[in-house]
Amino acid sequence: MSGYGSPAAGVVAQAAPLARQATVWAGSHQAPLLDAARLALARDLQLAFRKRGQLVQPLAFFAMVTMLFPLAISPELARLREIAPGVLWAGALLASLLALEFLFRDDAYDGTLEQYALSGQSLTWLIFAKTAAHWLLTGLPLALMAPLAALSLGVSDAAVPGIVASVAVGSVALSLIGSIGAALTLGIKRSGALLSLLTLPLSLPVLIFGARATQLAISGGPLLAPLELLAALAVLGVTLAPLAAAAAVRISLE
Amino acid sequence: MSQFLEMGGYAAFVWPAYAVTLGAIVLNIVWARRALARSREEARRRLAMRGEGA
Amino acid sequence: MTWTWFHRLGSPPYVYALAARLTPWFAWPAALLIIGGLWGGLVLAPPDYQQGDGFRIIYVHAPSAWMSLMVYTTMAVAAAVGLIWRIKVAHAVAASCAPIGASFTFAALVTGALWGEPMWGTYWEWDPRLTSELILLFLYLGYMGLRAGLEDTQRADRASAVLAVVGVVNVPIIHYSVTWWNSLHQAPSVMRLAKPTMAASMLVPLLLMLLGFTLFFGAVLLVRLRGEVLNRERSASWIREIVNA
Repeated sequence: MSGYGSPAAGVVAQAAPLARQATVWAGSHQAPLLDAARLALARDLQLAFRKRGQLVQPLAFFAMVTMLFPLAISPELARLREIAPGVLWAGALLASLLALEFLFRDDAYDGTLEQYALSGQSLTWLIFAKTAAHWLLTGLPLALMAPLAALSLGVSDAAVPGIVASVAVGSVALSLIGSIGAALTLGIKRSGALLSLLTLPLSLPVLIFGARATQLAISGGPLLAPLELLAALAVLGVTLAPLAAAAAVRISLE
Repeated sequence: MSQFLEMGGYAAFVWPAYAVTLGAIVLNIVWARRALARSREEARRRLAMRGEGA
Repeated sequence: MTWTWFHRLGSPPYVYALAARLTPWFAWPAALLIIGGLWGGLVLAPPDYQQGDGFRIIYVHAPSAWMSLMVYTTMAVAAAVGLIWRIKVAHAVAASCAPIGASFTFAALVTGALWGEPMWGTYWEWDPRLTSELILLFLYLGYMGLRAGLEDTQRADRASAVLAVVGVVNVPIIHYSVTWWNSLHQAPSVMRLAKPTMAASMLVPLLLMLLGFTLFFGAVLLVRLRGEVLNRERSASWIREIVNA
């Protein structure tokens, strides 16, 4: 693993022998396919940990958004508790949107995406790996941070597991939907506003079910139904979004 | 006639609704024709630039 | 042999000429139907027994709402055809649809608000249909924004086609989720207007308007399509004949 200096080299150097191996294992393409995806995932995580500043930005943004509401509305915990699900989900949605701009940008600039597309590996799987890394770096931390924000809004600690579960599952769907928008806007300058315009309408079902699950978690109601709907959206996203995002990446490389 | 214009007291809602929709129709006609004219102008310019003469 | 018409639809000069020839066949019937529908809806139809003359907004609201959905469907189908079979003309159709659909979605929202105020007592109700319509407007704006952001026509075509197809997969999910969300929050006090079967004198103008708007969409689409076909043609000599005509 000497190639981390130039990010493209790492995976490509790994991917080439893998592709050769794939022809040897002509019977089962499965194993090398997943290996390449796993390497791409590991690479993205490692690169992200080198730029910790960027990693913290969405989380800090989320904390700031949460702080805006007590200041703008009222410090009364009773009122804040009522709006907590909306605050948490609007904050999570915006924070994940903020992080999306970085999902493909650096890899598009330095040619890594092009190498991925030419590597002979399934681009869909590689894009899926990148999206998975994105979720691990933003969605999961947001899910772990959401209870802190919730507690600061006067929510009782009994709601914590439900909130973590709903944000964790919902943010999977958000990352996947966002990956399509991020891939489509590759190469457009100042794409931030456009990316929100493309991604937010498609994310509304996640917001609706996520906020509902969080609300039920806070009030102690049965939150399984909205949580299952969130999971269904995440599964649908896992099956379809990487295909669409990979197609969009290919279009941007043409 | 004035009774017709009053729309049974709903004039303030009925007429703006019709105006907006007819406005959308008219704008669509104008925009479409303008877009076609622009595309033709653009095509003419492309031909001229290649020296094939318009 | 039966497929020759289909193949000719992939040929820009043929499509350009066909679109020019067909436009009046859509435009004039559309004009007649819309004028007839306006006359029938504003003058001939009797006032509604519940809503008085306020119900006449339906003759502009329903056709606009119909257009917003029908145009989006047309756009997504054309985009998918263009993406799968790499047909330029299909992309040109999709690109032509977006501004038309967006303008009628806007009209549907405004007329809906103007109908809501006298009937529900509020311009805006977070009703699932209004909310879905608003989201549809954002989908149109996103599609147009993406096209505007990409300078290369071919890339704009294919990228926006992916977006249109993703959008059409999402529209039912969005609609379902909005309905579900609304059923949780809807106050039961809002007046729901029971729709008894419509009298023919009320229904016929509505059908005229729906058909008239659909034909109008066809006419505008054909005019826009000619421009979009020209934009995509770089080298063909037939352009010379057209621009000099």
